[in-house]
Amino acid sequence: MSPTKVTAATVAGPRLAALLLGAACVAWAAAPLGHDGLAQTALTISIVTVAAGALRLALVDIPEPEDLFLQPGYVRNWLVFLGVLRTWVWEETAVVGILWLEVQHPARPWHTAALGAGLAAYLLVTHIAESGADPAVVLRRQTKLLAVGACLLALGAGFALLPAATPGPGAALLRVLAAAAVIAAAALVLPA
Amino acid sequence: MPTLIRNERGRLSIRLVHHRERANEKASQPSSADLGASIEINSEDVAVTWRPSRHARRLLTLAAAALLLAVITRRPELAGVAGPPLLLLGAARISPRGRQDRLGIRVGLTATRVYEGEPAALDVTVASDSHDARWSLEPGKCVEPTSAPSVNGQAARFTFTVDRWGKRKVGTVTLRLHDRWRLTEGQVALALPAIDCYPSPAAQRTQVVLSKLPNRLGEHRARVPGDGVEFNGVREFVPGDRQRAINWPATTRRGRLQVNTFAAERSQDVVLLVDATSDVGEPGESALDLGLRGAAGAARAYLAGRDRVGVITYQWGGARWLAPSLGRRQEYRIIDVLIEADTGYSRGAIFSRLPRAALPPGALVVAFSPLLDHRFVEALRDMRERGFSLIVIDVMNAAPPRRRTFADAAARRIWHLEQQAIRFSLRELGVPVVAWDGRTPLDIPLAPYARRPLMSRR
Repeated sequence: MSPTKVTAATVAGPRLAALLLGAACVAWAAAPLGHDGLAQTALTISIVTVAAGALRLALVDIPEPEDLFLQPGYVRNWLVFLGVLRTWVWEETAVVGILWLEVQHPARPWHTAALGAGLAAYLLVTHIAESGADPAVVLRRQTKLLAVGACLLALGAGFALLPAATPGPGAALLRVLAAAAVIAAAALVLPA
Repeated sequence: MPTLIRNERGRLSIRLVHHRERANEKASQPSSADLGASIEINSEDVAVTWRPSRHARRLLTLAAAALLLAVITRRPELAGVAGPPLLLLGAARISPRGRQDRLGIRVGLTATRVYEGEPAALDVTVASDSHDARWSLEPGKCVEPTSAPSVNGQAARFTFTVDRWGKRKVGTVTLRLHDRWRLTEGQVALALPAIDCYPSPAAQRTQVVLSKLPNRLGEHRARVPGDGVEFNGVREFVPGDRQRAINWPATTRRGRLQVNTFAAERSQDVVLLVDATSDVGEPGESALDLGLRGAAGAARAYLAGRDRVGVITYQWGGARWLAPSLGRRQEYRIIDVLIEADTGYSRGAIFSRLPRAALPPGALVVAFSPLLDHRFVEALRDMRERGFSLIVIDVMNAAPPRRRTFADAAARRIWHLEQQAIRFSLRELGVPVVAWDGRTPLDIPLAPYARRPLMSRR
């Protein structure tokens, strides 16, 4: 086996891909943009967290000195900023923000299913970027599961397209629970 | 290839073993990654701490948020969004195969002793190929990685340099393992041993030689006649002289047998005295750095000239010393003493007179000092009065900062005058004091004393 060559392209590629996927998810969930307060807030949170996550990935290689005592003020401020950037869970916040942005719109099953695929890809690429793993190897190992996951997304969208048996909030909730139960059962059984 | 094998009845027979069979046998043996050209310094089984990865936590957040929003907003398609993350989490939960609680890790270094700035490499291998392994090195103090780690399967190589002499810890190497689904993360931290970093020896090709050398065979030309190779003069033949020493032209001119005489070749004792009582200046270019580099270079130069070389490091709490001796091994023993030099102040420490065993009579003493400590200066005067031939190499390359206030300027001037007075008093005693900046070869400041033998006065 030949030694792995770490080049700027192999390092920067996944980081850029994570930023683009995050931006695409925000744009996909935001369009068409609502004008009420919650939609605006969710959009702002999503943009900030996706940008901060991308910045964290871009600055992940910068080392932190052990002792801040003798460092000048601007270096200390920079290191505090880096610490905040590395501590907060930006990607998790972004996922919640994007989903919240999506539910501001009326129901659109296939659109939401595509967003789910995008969010899963965003998280996977973020992990590849921060761990330095070989994308080809990771994707090859998870191909089957990702294919089954796509089927589950389609299943969820299909549930949403089925007309409710009876009108009212109770029937809708039951339909959601049924869909969740089927998906959870499939997730638990299929890998075995 | 024919191979002797024993059959079921216990009889030996010859069988041809194919290369493929041999390869299979080799593959069935427990795998042990190669450490390359490095020396194995550590091999142990270490416990692996497994925990959910950040990727797993993110997927869990996605699944939980999607399910919660699905229930709140009564939208089944959001439950579908939770499908892929739940599927991955379930897969990792159901099939946690390959997670080992202990791993065999081997650590090797290309060299356990390096000079300042000399590249070295650290090789680490893990005896498991069922995980995706990622290595990282947290370098220790004064250890600088020189390039990105080179990874080859389960082995990794980190190249580094050590910037400053001393016993330096290489750092900590961390191994991160991921399972197939990258949802659990194992971490192993391995503290690396210390490496001896020797001061980079100063360049020195010439040697200062005493005028009076002890009666011991060596390579320096002595004033007395002997069995050397350098021509000394011509004298009349006496019975017992070798015939091959007859100088025929002189014999023809004078009408009597004349023989050539040659200078004796002797060696000398050299004691390197390093002042470790004060370390002033920028780290890496401080007075002690220069002193140790100069002493290492001088040790190399005099040992190459077949002289007996010893060392004394003069520091708080007494002196460390090594009696003069010969050979390549002595060079490393000297440097081992040098890198243990400590400028740390120990309370109640007293200076004692320099050990007699470390100072053979008639030895040349080469002192490396910034001449800041009065007791060290007194020790030099004491040695001069005891009859030793001394050369002081002044390694002071720092001065008090320039400030505009009158008091600071006056203090700086007084300090300079005091330093000049110390050097003047030593010169008055017949002790040469030469300044060395650490960049030029030592031959340049020592040139006036290397051209002719240094007069040894008692």
